[in-house]
Amino acid sequence: MALKDVKPTRSELINLKKKIKLSERGYNILKMKRDGLILEFFKVLEEAKGSRDAIGEKYARAQGIIAIANTVEGSIGVKAAAMSVREKPELTLKKKNIMGVVVPEIEATKVKKDLAERGYGVLGTSAVIDETASAFEELVDEIIRAAEIETTMKRLLNEIESTKRRVNALEFKVIPELKEASAFIKMRLDEMERDELVRLKKIKAKSKA
Amino acid sequence: MISASQTGPASYIYAATRMRVRKSKLLAREDYIRLLNMGLPEITRFIEETEYKAEIDELAVSFSGIDLIEIGLSWNLANEYQRVLKILPGVMKTFARSYLSHWDIFNVLTILRGKSQGVKTGKIKEILIPAGTINVVTLDRLLAEDSPERIVENLSSWILHPVLEREFAAAQESGSYAGMENELYKAFYRYVLKQTVSGIKGGKPFREYLQLEIDLTNIKTVIRLYQGGVREDVRDLMIEGGNFSVDELVRLAGSESIEEIMEGVKKYYPSGPVANLMEVGGDGEFALHEMENALTQVMLDKMDRISKRYPFSICSTMVYLKRKRYEVANLRAIARGKESGLSGEQIQGYLVM
Repeated sequence: MALKDVKPTRSELINLKKKIKLSERGYNILKMKRDGLILEFFKVLEEAKGSRDAIGEKYARAQGIIAIANTVEGSIGVKAAAMSVREKPELTLKKKNIMGVVVPEIEATKVKKDLAERGYGVLGTSAVIDETASAFEELVDEIIRAAEIETTMKRLLNEIESTKRRVNALEFKVIPELKEASAFIKMRLDEMERDELVRLKKIKAKSKA
Repeated sequence: MISASQTGPASYIYAATRMRVRKSKLLAREDYIRLLNMGLPEITRFIEETEYKAEIDELAVSFSGIDLIEIGLSWNLANEYQRVLKILPGVMKTFARSYLSHWDIFNVLTILRGKSQGVKTGKIKEILIPAGTINVVTLDRLLAEDSPERIVENLSSWILHPVLEREFAAAQESGSYAGMENELYKAFYRYVLKQTVSGIKGGKPFREYLQLEIDLTNIKTVIRLYQGGVREDVRDLMIEGGNFSVDELVRLAGSESIEEIMEGVKKYYPSGPVANLMEVGGDGEFALHEMENALTQVMLDKMDRISKRYPFSICSTMVYLKRKRYEVANLRAIARGKESGLSGEQIQGYLVM
């Protein structure tokens, strides 16, 4: 707000004071929101770290077990068993609210299956196929969990960033400018008051003379 | 005259001698140990210089690397089985064919699953192992069909077609061929057990072997079901004809702990290799796939023993067919294991020697 655009009137001063009060209240709320989001973010970050470690671990396990499956059954046996799987995992997306930030909640079904649901016959396959299927099911399950956590983290980060920008804008631009404008109006009003006083004094002196 | 020569002792002596010669050409334990110390290129070269050369050369146009080795090995197995069937006379051929029909189950189900999943024909063909009674031409014809219904119709002359036909509608409705696959394997064992009393020489000892195979398959199934958390509807997964009755197996599958299962098995196998395996298995020293491997070794040892005790019988042929299958499995395991970066010691644990 350029000072030249400011009308140095009492009503404008009252308006500015209202705006300053509102901005300061908004600033405090946004600061609290930012701090709250940061706290939430750190919680999610811990979960995300755990989830990433779990993915790494489960991926390594799945790779290890499929190497064994390829060794024991051959890739032919593994591919033939893989062809049996007909039911694909289903994902349901729901919404969850964390301090005004809408984050996804992913519900997965048909990821982990029991032996009877996998589609291959028990009598024509070996246990290593079960172990492989189970290892990959666990990996997919963890990936879905990680997708939820990491999306939440990303959205929280975006919200923290925009809240931080708003807080900074209020703290370093909006409120100082409003205060400056208010000080300017006050100064102009005082000056105008002094002018008026001097003018009245002069009129009084002239009328006495 | 022909039938007399095909069922008399001479035919058994002839077949047993041919099989013994073939068996002597199989890789020995020392060869596997040597292979375990080789790198993948050396293994490839070793395989190319043995009985597998023809298939490797033939397939080299379409495949390369580890896939070439694996598919080459499978095709060699299939060709060798077909060659053996050509050698075998009369009832021996019928018997061997009946035992090899488990490869048909694998092939038919792979085609059905591939087709219903919309997998390209070429990709399905790569997975087939035409080592059974359904020849390559028939398999190609089945691959050319688009609908699973037509595939089933085309298999009307297959020995297990009645089971396939009976189970197919339910499988299509449920969207899973698992139940049908289990029924086919059960029918396969019923069929082979029936063949053992068809007058074939060595049928009785082979029946004993087959009962052991059924028992061990059932034990593996029980353990898998226990580990997979399946406690209900297990009756349909048990093969009849072994030493355990289906009721006993169902009871075993409902056990509270793995130790209880092992104890249940030990009642029928109180001593010997199976009992020893149950002992260590109960202690949790084995992963299930390691135990499966050890049980396969028990089966092969039994087969070796009966083939030595009944040298001029069908047993010598069957032991060769089994040993050949595991030679292929071992070579594949070594090649795949090396490719996956498994240690020699680890790979050795998966070999059946």
